[in-house]
Amino acid sequence: MSGAYLDHQAASPLDPRVREAMLPFLGERFGSPASLHEHGRAPAEAVERARAEVAALVGAEADWVIFTSGATEARNLAVKGLASANRALGRGIVATALEHPATLAACRTLERGGAALTLVEVDGAGRVAPGAFAEAVGPETALVCLVHGQPDIGTLQDLPALVAACRRARPEARIHVDAGETAGLVPIDLAALGADALTLGGGPVGAPPWTGALAVRPGARLHPLIEGGLQEGGKRAGAEDVPGIVALGAAAAIARAELAEHAGRARALAARLAAGLLAVPGVRLNGHPEERIPGHVQVSVGDVEGETLALALAARGVAVSPGSACTAHGGKAAPALEAIGLEPPWTHSAILLTLRHTTTEAEVDTAIAAFADAVAALRAMSPLAS
Amino acid sequence: MSPVRIVDALGTWCPVPIYLVDRAARAAAAGEVIELLADDPLIEVDLPAWCHRTGHELLELRRADREWVGRVRRAG
Repeated sequence: MSGAYLDHQAASPLDPRVREAMLPFLGERFGSPASLHEHGRAPAEAVERARAEVAALVGAEADWVIFTSGATEARNLAVKGLASANRALGRGIVATALEHPATLAACRTLERGGAALTLVEVDGAGRVAPGAFAEAVGPETALVCLVHGQPDIGTLQDLPALVAACRRARPEARIHVDAGETAGLVPIDLAALGADALTLGGGPVGAPPWTGALAVRPGARLHPLIEGGLQEGGKRAGAEDVPGIVALGAAAAIARAELAEHAGRARALAARLAAGLLAVPGVRLNGHPEERIPGHVQVSVGDVEGETLALALAARGVAVSPGSACTAHGGKAAPALEAIGLEPPWTHSAILLTLRHTTTEAEVDTAIAAFADAVAALRAMSPLAS
Repeated sequence: MSPVRIVDALGTWCPVPIYLVDRAARAAAAGEVIELLADDPLIEVDLPAWCHRTGHELLELRRADREWVGRVRRAG
């Protein structure tokens, strides 16, 4: 490949070991895990092995894990399910201003139903101060939402300090940690954190992006969103995606064994990439300079519109996302960029480049050269550029 | 005595709560206590009936507002 694929947050090729693990469940092992006959046995056993592997990746027990159709569903289940089952604790929800859009949307829906939502502001690098966060947590707070790694700007939060501060302020509050962009790339331990629930997504773990899970501590109290079946302990009814679950389990096992090596390589490649992009005048790195999701680089170019730049890079064989992988269409500023205090044109001139350990140095260098060329070409024709 | 296994059946309807407590009992050791959280009113009938049928000891089934907490000791 002569170009560069730097859009791994959107989708990533599967590790051949993960693909091999899931293939039998698209073929001869087609049975339903709920079946009593022989065809159900291998799928049922495989789902439970996957459950144990996913739990081990995030410091949970196997029976805490509820498989979902991805991180977005897990976030919805966590927010709506915990809030609904814990109404007796109060009407308050406290979240960072940088939550994933799925979390924010679920919180807004609850707000429409009478919940009191407080969004805690972040600093210019996207970090939340534990003291400020704890001040927002009060006697009416039932649910706390903490995003670990922000998907747009890549900033990692200091989760142990934030969870501890919340616990001191309101021990009874349910705490949901959104590790949908970090589990598999950054070590995380739900039990050690003392949080109540954790979202993870298949993509960062190394599984298909349509897989994911919510891990919930026993006694946290959770209402299901999808009802009507025994699957997933009654908390997520519907036929299991056995091939996807098996892939998630296989990817979790690989991630647990190889995480440190993969993260180190992704960080080094991202540093090389960021240095190359920032060598172009008038470019800024968004998010925290060091505390970042491994392999995550988001820059704003100021006088060049993000979607236009992403298309110009695509024409040069370099795949990236404009601004954020989740809001790649529509020309809207990502809320995360506004939350860190950016204003137009910086909010509209971001591109997101995400790589993995499988990315090559040649891809990074190709992207740097294409970026410099595309920015120069677009500035040459822009009335905004000086 | 503190429960060693909590079964959260909140938001689920018959037969899910009994399925969940039965699964927990099968995984538990003799003498272990299982605490069931449920909000399906049928649990008032189902849990005592299931205990009677399986031989597990129903320690408690109390109602708090619109929820029930059942405590069952697994038979030997």
